[in-house]
Amino acid sequence: MIETKKLIKIYNPGKFEVKAVNDVSTVFAEGEFTAVVGPSGSGKTTFLNCVGGLDTPSSGDVIISDENITKLSGTEIIKYRLNNIGFVFQAYNLIPVLSAKENIEMIMLLQGADEKIRKSRTDELLNQVGLYEMRNRRPSQLSGGQQQRVAVARALASKPKFILADEPTANLDTSSTSNLLDIMNKLNETEKITFIFSTHDQRVIDRARRVVTLEDGKIVNDIKK
Amino acid sequence: MNLLTLIKISWRNIWRNKLRSLVVIISIVFGLLGGIIIIAMSYGLNEERMNNAVDTYLSHIQIHNNLFSEDYNIKHTINNLDVIEKAINEDERVISYSKRIVLNGMLSNSNGSYGIQVKGIDPDEEIKVTNTYEKIIDGEYFRSKRDNTILVGKKLADKLNLKLKSKVVITFQDENYELTSLLYRVEGIFRSGNSRYDEMNVFVKNKSITKNLPGFNGYHEMPILLSDIELRGEVKKDLIPISSDNIVEGWDDISKELAYANEMLSAVLYIFMMIILSGLSFGVINTMLMAILERRKEIGMLMSIGMNRYKIFMMISFETIFLSLIALPFGLITSYLIVEYYSVVGIDLSVVEAGLENFGVGTRLYFKVPNEEYFYVSLMVFVISIFSSIFPSIRALKINPVEATKTI
Repeated sequence: MIETKKLIKIYNPGKFEVKAVNDVSTVFAEGEFTAVVGPSGSGKTTFLNCVGGLDTPSSGDVIISDENITKLSGTEIIKYRLNNIGFVFQAYNLIPVLSAKENIEMIMLLQGADEKIRKSRTDELLNQVGLYEMRNRRPSQLSGGQQQRVAVARALASKPKFILADEPTANLDTSSTSNLLDIMNKLNETEKITFIFSTHDQRVIDRARRVVTLEDGKIVNDIKK
Repeated sequence: MNLLTLIKISWRNIWRNKLRSLVVIISIVFGLLGGIIIIAMSYGLNEERMNNAVDTYLSHIQIHNNLFSEDYNIKHTINNLDVIEKAINEDERVISYSKRIVLNGMLSNSNGSYGIQVKGIDPDEEIKVTNTYEKIIDGEYFRSKRDNTILVGKKLADKLNLKLKSKVVITFQDENYELTSLLYRVEGIFRSGNSRYDEMNVFVKNKSITKNLPGFNGYHEMPILLSDIELRGEVKKDLIPISSDNIVEGWDDISKELAYANEMLSAVLYIFMMIILSGLSFGVINTMLMAILERRKEIGMLMSIGMNRYKIFMMISFETIFLSLIALPFGLITSYLIVEYYSVVGIDLSVVEAGLENFGVGTRLYFKVPNEEYFYVSLMVFVISIFSSIFPSIRALKINPVEATKTI
């Protein structure tokens, strides 16, 4: 379970301060498939950054499975992210010099996983995202949709508690989006992983089982379907 | 993530922009090449100068009466000569030796006078120790049956307009400080490659001196040639106990400026190489900073997913070090081949002949790089590449993953 308590993030504190996240308290239960929506500048990304431990909130707490991650030190939060949180980026952000297989395997290497486990998990994920045949291709040899599927597999490789995805379909065409959402939906059901998206994409919103709407850093609507 | 994986990623990263990496690598190769060739020329020049001095006049060891260097009176001849000669003849480390009478005096002809040092030699003995006989450019090396012939240096011959068969008078003080003059006829003109030496030294047969100085008996200088220049220390040590009231000196004791130049050369060349490599390191640093700027997002992503600061630091460090280390073997091999070629063929520097003669070397310069220099240069490249890697790596660590990735 992920819980945010009175989460506030202020940029430029003082004269020209901007409250990107303003007193947000909410809970994401295990296995949720949630879309965080809202207009540009509503604070979606900042909110997810704080939840993912990438950004430090100005005040408030982020509690994941009874652990307040806002209290962790720099080194501890890096380790926490590595073992508990998966990230999917809008621009895929794969390592261009590594193959699809190596990109997925890398996160397990960072975790220090055994070679046997790494190999079987990588093969399993490549099969799940339908890219086993293309495992030796580098990102430049894959389409945008295929790259994003590798990015999803990479996010899942560490067996995280939840996955944060910021506009994961923003650069994808309709069929790639649909394909990616099918894969994520399936993974959500089979691996019981919590997915939290920030998105503008109606196709993602339609598939989400919960939609949290932010405006000016505050939750203005929270619908469970 | 183990070190091998980091090395693999770093290795692949440097080939992402092949052209840029190659430009840096080639610049390091040329820098190394330039530096090593300068080292080779300097060592070659220094060795040529040293060998020239040793072969022409110094030899490896010299023995004098210890008063001779203070007061050049001809009475200060070498003491205990028989015992020393016996010891030298029995010593297998000694290849040859000769005995010289040395007079400081004045050489005159109708064109003028010049202060010189006269070396009275046995021409047959002297051939075994020095190479003056090979340096005759006009006339002959003591072929005449006459005793009063003289060999003069080219520079002195030019100054006093001396030609073959020219008459000259040598004036010096005898043991009673009385002026004595001897008449000679020029039999040969030599050019040793050291114009200063050619200007200041003349050779005569020692018989020509002894027969005109009936009371004089002995020698002032005994040059000794060894099988290996490095043996001079131990041979010197063995000769000192039997050389009472004599002074036994190695070439480096006699010609301190040559020995000093020899000692200083390595240090000066290391400083020079360090400057070249430091200059090149700025190119490497600049390239890496550009690469980091281009890969901000990727590095930010790596930080986001949990790559710690140490691994980021190591990854960038490896990339920087690889750039230098790839260049190293190419630079060394190219330099080695060029040095080997010119160590045999030499470079013709006759265009600067006059300057080189003043410096005491010939006109053909043979490259030389002691093998250990290649090792030290490699070590310097390695150390400088490590230092060069620090700044880009620190810069990479300063990347804020949130700003770099813009989105999570």
